[in-house]
Amino acid sequence: MTETDDQRRSLAEPYTPGSGDGGEPWDAQPDTVAVAPPAAPGRDERTVEFLAEWHNGSYNCFSSGHKFCREVCPVVQVTRNESWSPTAFHANVVAMERGHLDVADVAADYVNCTQCGACELRCPNTLFTGDFYRFRTRTVDVVKAMRALAVDEGVHQPAWQRWNASTGERTHEPVLGDTPVSQEHVRDWADGLDLPIGGESILFVDCEAAFYRTSVPRAVAQILQRAGYEFGLMAEQWCCGGPAAEMGYTDQARRFAEHNLADWRATGARRVLVLDPHDYISFTEDYPRYFGDDFDIEVVLVVELFAEMLGDGRLRPDVPIERTVTYHDPCRLNKRKGIWREPREILRAIPGLTFHDVDRVTQWSYCSGAGGGLAIEKPELTAAISARRIEHAATLDVDTLVSACPWSERPLTAAGAEASIDVVDLHELLAESLGIDVGGDAGTGR
Amino acid sequence: MSLTADALDHLVSRLQGVLRADQVLTSKADRFNRARTPAPFPVHRWSEHVPDVVVLPESTDDVVTVVRLANELAVPIVPRDGGTGLTDGAVPLRHGILVDVKRMNQIHEIDLDNRTCTVGVGINMLKLNEVLGRYGLIYPDNPASYPCSLVGGRIGTSGWSLIGSRYGHTRDLVLSFDHVLPTGEVMHVGDGIGGNITRSSSGYQLKHLFMGHQGTLGIATRATLKLFPKPEAELSPFFAFSDYDSAHRCVGALARAGVATFAGAVLFDEWKVAYLRRDDEAYIPQPSDVKALVCTALYGWEDEVRVGGKRLLRITREHGGRYLGDEISEGDWAARHDRYATPLHGRTRSGQVVPMSWHCEDASISHTNLPAVTRAWHAIVTELRRRTDVFDDWGMFAYTNGATGIDYLTEIDVGIWEQQLGEEAWRLWVQAKRDIAAVTLRYRGSISACHGSCREGEVDLVPEELGRGYGVMLDVKRLLDPNNIMNPGKYGLDRAYEGGGR
Repeated sequence: MTETDDQRRSLAEPYTPGSGDGGEPWDAQPDTVAVAPPAAPGRDERTVEFLAEWHNGSYNCFSSGHKFCREVCPVVQVTRNESWSPTAFHANVVAMERGHLDVADVAADYVNCTQCGACELRCPNTLFTGDFYRFRTRTVDVVKAMRALAVDEGVHQPAWQRWNASTGERTHEPVLGDTPVSQEHVRDWADGLDLPIGGESILFVDCEAAFYRTSVPRAVAQILQRAGYEFGLMAEQWCCGGPAAEMGYTDQARRFAEHNLADWRATGARRVLVLDPHDYISFTEDYPRYFGDDFDIEVVLVVELFAEMLGDGRLRPDVPIERTVTYHDPCRLNKRKGIWREPREILRAIPGLTFHDVDRVTQWSYCSGAGGGLAIEKPELTAAISARRIEHAATLDVDTLVSACPWSERPLTAAGAEASIDVVDLHELLAESLGIDVGGDAGTGR
Repeated sequence: MSLTADALDHLVSRLQGVLRADQVLTSKADRFNRARTPAPFPVHRWSEHVPDVVVLPESTDDVVTVVRLANELAVPIVPRDGGTGLTDGAVPLRHGILVDVKRMNQIHEIDLDNRTCTVGVGINMLKLNEVLGRYGLIYPDNPASYPCSLVGGRIGTSGWSLIGSRYGHTRDLVLSFDHVLPTGEVMHVGDGIGGNITRSSSGYQLKHLFMGHQGTLGIATRATLKLFPKPEAELSPFFAFSDYDSAHRCVGALARAGVATFAGAVLFDEWKVAYLRRDDEAYIPQPSDVKALVCTALYGWEDEVRVGGKRLLRITREHGGRYLGDEISEGDWAARHDRYATPLHGRTRSGQVVPMSWHCEDASISHTNLPAVTRAWHAIVTELRRRTDVFDDWGMFAYTNGATGIDYLTEIDVGIWEQQLGEEAWRLWVQAKRDIAAVTLRYRGSISACHGSCREGEVDLVPEELGRGYGVMLDVKRLLDPNNIMNPGKYGLDRAYEGGGR
């Protein structure tokens, strides 16, 4: 090849296409080479709509193919199956667009995601760069969308179908297995606490906490009482609808959200206090999407509120707790919402604790495995992921793993029992240090 | 050609007879997701690269069983580790059985006295280092794909380590490994008797033959790796230059300086700086008179890094480099190092931002030839860009190798808009790759310093590059893989067989 003057000039002057600063340094030929892929035949309207929405986002991942997401993915860590990696979840969309796959071919693969968000943080498309070109990787949304498409197309996962049917009937998730949950018992956890109904601030208690780990809401409610913070409960609380949205049952999710919002409005609520990170996602992401500007409810995460109350002296824990602990960053706080500082502030305010912290970035690759419906459809994977999390804790010579997510605490407690590591909720621990006799069930028989 | 339905049924039932059900994957999604690597892929011909069946072995014995079966039935077999390679080693060309080794990721032994560890090849280096860090040790094999590539893939490609000037590259860091030959026999290969010996003059030095073969000579399963004390200090200064030539002279001087803690240096050419300026949100903007960048990295004890760093800073000053300060240096090194400077979008000629795949053509080029090769490669990509929006020039990096400063891993990064990639664009691309390789050979370089050279296009020039050595490759391939089952079609090795292979 000879180097012409033209080429040399172009090399001396790299340029920015479209910048209008004098145009291209060479004569461009009309583009007869670029070709859009042919549309796959025989697609129904719903699938076409799905592909149109996720076409570019999935290509951004496919084009990269770097797979930086893989080793931080909790499911990949325990299965080492590339079909269940965030990369595959995007590549499948491209393959569908090209006509190689259908939703029925891939729906079961999409079970294998806890929606923890680690992949998004680790993605070269996102890392450090924010969302400048709206090319941020959105694996969680892709997974939710594919699950929704599957449900809409009649492709169900059996355990999820049963779970959501039961939730639909009883307005709460069947977290007690064969023991029915019901509206009648949704406030049982608060027995003896003398909590009012309604008011400006409402404490929302998610299904797992309301029926299973009742020590968590009891701790939260009593800490709020101790601080003199006025709040009430809902007239008729339903499941937040988040789990249904995560599993693809979007109509049900929306129906539940509409009920809860109406209930808040009916009792004069201005703000909702949230003790569960999963609810926090529902109320700060799903509900605003459903209701737009009409959603005028302030959402307050009690972890943040308690950190504030410790800072300004409204809470003064003074009962020493002689434990050696590490903290499990719940995925939906740390990875999805960037909330990691306040839980640590709370732990550092508790006297007597020896705290071996693991930084939040290392914890991008930690998870309990309980999120995104994985525990319902594949409890064995959740157990394996929790066991790994406990293994990490065990290397620190701690006796206690503190979490701030009721959903994580059930599988972590089971895994912790094997390793003689207690799993305690952050709110429970704070209450104890405030001298509160929490009561309720911590899921451990304690 | 794919197996017939009957042959596939037979194969799958035989595999299911020797492996658990969850180790044998046959679904379409399982297979389509193991057809490609990050290198540009003829997405319009995706189905041509889909394996017939995927297996997930968990031990050397599992691999042996599968390879023996493939050899018996004469079914193609393709090893896949991280699937992050840039030369298609893990992309099936003839369908067949894909052996995905990710489950072989155990740490079998950490030998603190001899500073080695023995691992399954499915382990990722970052994950390994998380464990080694507890012992104050590090395994310093450090490709751009460090967070996702696996030890086995590094063996199969014999890749480059970004900080290899300090610690060595994969070929130096992997001491020995268990290797399943195409006939299913297991060989422990390394220096001498293998294990954790690093130097031996006994017999042929076979280790390098079984590294970098792109899966054509078998499958590594378990490896013993050389470990180093985790460095106490890192210094990663960035320097700005107002012209490429000064930066080029400077990087040569840095590499020749003989500083023991010097781990490597990277030269960014004018096109790379312009690309980062226009499309990399992580790039910390520099004044417009900055036309080229050099970064370097030193590792070691704090006192020795401090002294070595002062020397290198003086050298860059003498060459007109401006130190960009601690914040930019540390931040940008983290960015370059971690996410590899690849925004993964480019622009059409009219300025529209579009998702693009990243591909880098690499070569080994001597220092004095770098400027000429740089110009010639940009001219080739400019020609592509003149024709179509499918391609974008993302500039060039050159990485130094070692204290001699002779060889440079030289790469041109090309954005490819795969959504618009059809046969014509693919043909242009493959020809461009041939042209790029031809420039390399004209300047007495090697077609690849790191990735391998078995992809469509450049592979055509490998016989010219290796001469009689290529004939030896054919002889070795025929001898070790009599039925041409192991990753057939790669490196033109079909010509080792009568009739050009299967």
